[in-house]
Amino acid sequence: MKLTAFRYLRGRRLLTLALILISASTLFSMTAFSLLSLEKGFSTYQGEGEDIVAIFDRRSRTPFTGVVPAYLTERIGSIHGVLASSPEALAPCFVENEPVFLRGIVPEDFTKLDPFTIVDGEMLCLSDIGSMMIGKSLAERLKLKPGDKALVLAVLRDRYLELRVKGVFQSHSATDDEILAPLYVGQWLRGTDYAHVSLLRFKIDRSMVSSSRIFEAVAKEATESGSSDVRGWRPPDSIIRLVRAQFKIGDLGVEEAHRLMETYLNRYGVTREAILILSVMVFIFSSASVAAASSTIINQHREEIDILRSIGASEKTVKRDIMVKLLPWSLASSAVGIVLAAAILVMIQGYGYVQLLSHSVPLDLSPIVVVLNSALVVSLVATIIWWSHLQ
Amino acid sequence: MLLRKGETASALAAIALLVAILASANAVVNSIKIQAEALGAIVNVSETYLIMSSNSRSITDSEIDAKLANQLKTTTDFKYILPQRALTAILTVNSGNYTVLIRGVEQADNFLKARRAQIDGTITRSKTAVNFGEILAQVTSVKLGDKVKLTAGGSTLEAKVVGIVRTLTEVDVELIVPMETANNLTGGDSKISLIEFALKDDVDADEALNRIIASLPKDVRIVKTQQLKKFMQETNKQTLAFLNLWSLAVYAVVAATSYVIATRLVTESHYELTMLRALGAKKRHAFTLVLTHTAIIAILSSMLGITLGTVGVQAASAALRWTRPDTEMTLFLEVWQALEILLFTLSSSILGCLYPASRAARIEFREQPL
Repeated sequence: MKLTAFRYLRGRRLLTLALILISASTLFSMTAFSLLSLEKGFSTYQGEGEDIVAIFDRRSRTPFTGVVPAYLTERIGSIHGVLASSPEALAPCFVENEPVFLRGIVPEDFTKLDPFTIVDGEMLCLSDIGSMMIGKSLAERLKLKPGDKALVLAVLRDRYLELRVKGVFQSHSATDDEILAPLYVGQWLRGTDYAHVSLLRFKIDRSMVSSSRIFEAVAKEATESGSSDVRGWRPPDSIIRLVRAQFKIGDLGVEEAHRLMETYLNRYGVTREAILILSVMVFIFSSASVAAASSTIINQHREEIDILRSIGASEKTVKRDIMVKLLPWSLASSAVGIVLAAAILVMIQGYGYVQLLSHSVPLDLSPIVVVLNSALVVSLVATIIWWSHLQ
Repeated sequence: MLLRKGETASALAAIALLVAILASANAVVNSIKIQAEALGAIVNVSETYLIMSSNSRSITDSEIDAKLANQLKTTTDFKYILPQRALTAILTVNSGNYTVLIRGVEQADNFLKARRAQIDGTITRSKTAVNFGEILAQVTSVKLGDKVKLTAGGSTLEAKVVGIVRTLTEVDVELIVPMETANNLTGGDSKISLIEFALKDDVDADEALNRIIASLPKDVRIVKTQQLKKFMQETNKQTLAFLNLWSLAVYAVVAATSYVIATRLVTESHYELTMLRALGAKKRHAFTLVLTHTAIIAILSSMLGITLGTVGVQAASAALRWTRPDTEMTLFLEVWQALEILLFTLSSSILGCLYPASRAARIEFREQPL
């Protein structure tokens, strides 16, 4: 017996189910999109490409608080296959009463790893005393433009200084929310001496050199003792004299830049899988609402179902028919929920609410969330209908 | 009368599970907050402050009365007080002209001592003697004993480099001169840019600061130079702002669920509600009945959900620690957070049930002929 021609499900009642499905989908999508965006934003913070390798401090609990010997930039930079190297000193600080991150860099080296466009003002040089460059997003947030002066207050050390904006840049990466200043400025604010930085990043030709080869070179350096000047490093103005600093090989790690950030995230139990599981848990927790809505639909159509059963339709046939008729509603509700979630996130991102450690998080509208959401919604509705009693 | 075992249980479960999401999310955020505070505790925060003019964005823009420093020196709360005049000037040396920051100080030795400076040469004591920061000396190729020319606001002054200092601070790119030299370059006014001070270790910082603030004129402000706690609070606020917006989505689902629960109640209790109306119950009685039912469900499920969320997240954390022993998580829920969740759940549930409750109120008893 075919029930396709019987239009017994009332649209207005189905709207109740649709409302719940939209709400649950929105909640699931918002959770999954935002958590995946945070995870992606964090893991790509130090560079996305597999050709970016970082030397970092294994003992540090955050990417901002480690210290590594700066002279290694010369040693590793001279290995065949290492295309560019960038010593960086990261320092949290306050500018215009806003918490921001300042990255001390050697501008000529940094741009080889992370190229950016100057949108206003001029490019920074290592010898630019008392100057900084500011990322476009941050410049808009702090209302700073080239020529403006700002008081910078350190967080990790007792320091303050005045910096003048030399240029505004755009990189379409996390650095758009940062201040770039000469390396020594980052070192003051971070509280290290001139022999140490927060991390070293290298651009490598993967066909010629690997991160394990770099680690071997670092290990070799660790076994050599003594303190002497390091000659041959490239800062053009020779402003900073590099001194060999002793270190234990166990304290340093070498990782691809994105893996480095994942190392920190994993330490707090944050993995992509964990995020997806958490989002699915959110959906499952809200599925009790979907179950309530589905059984309400059944109850509201009890009379119609009884009539169909009395004219000979089997329970299976009625269930199958209800499932087929609810399928487009479920899919449409799921789609509306996803679109709604994306729209809400885009809107709140526009207002600057999606931030992680003062960095705007780029939205990751992953297709896996769309597929997972639709699959969960359809299977949940089908399961509830299948298990309900239509006697 | 309106309570049905199965339906009530499923209604409780539906809202409780949503509340559990909120409770666990809040517990996770609390854990992140604790982690941040623990990181903050690793760093020793010093008690150095600046007194600057209220309307200034930077130290060279700031102008305060020089007499203020002398006035403050009469109190005993300070470890040190360093009045300073900061100005931008043109430095002319053999290698060219450079825009530099000059810092005029009253006692250069005290100032450099506070910066733990290492010096090559001597400390500036006369108005024609200057100390160069190490990096500035390298950038400008200036050596000990060189003569330099300083120009600011139409005034020009020649001075001799008597010392090159390394402080690992901003002073490494500055010129340190006696206050008199700075005043000559600025036209001899009685202004200074800032007063840097630190409090004695045995002084109660809050009380001392209140005393200092009370003695200051209204056009100046006090700035703490190292603001670790504030930084942690501000970055935590970013997480909380997002959590609050996300919570709105959960409360929207709670409202929608309450709507379904109330709709189901009205549908399934149509006979009972009609009977009540026939027995003389007024419209508002039916309305209140549905509203009370929803409120009770909301309160009970909130309590259940808060317990479930907190216990669930603790269990998940224990499991995570078992598989990853280095995972660092301290999950808990504050009492005020639990109350907040309860209150918002109740509000959104009531909001969700208003329409079905009004439908219940519209149920009429009509006498029909047999």
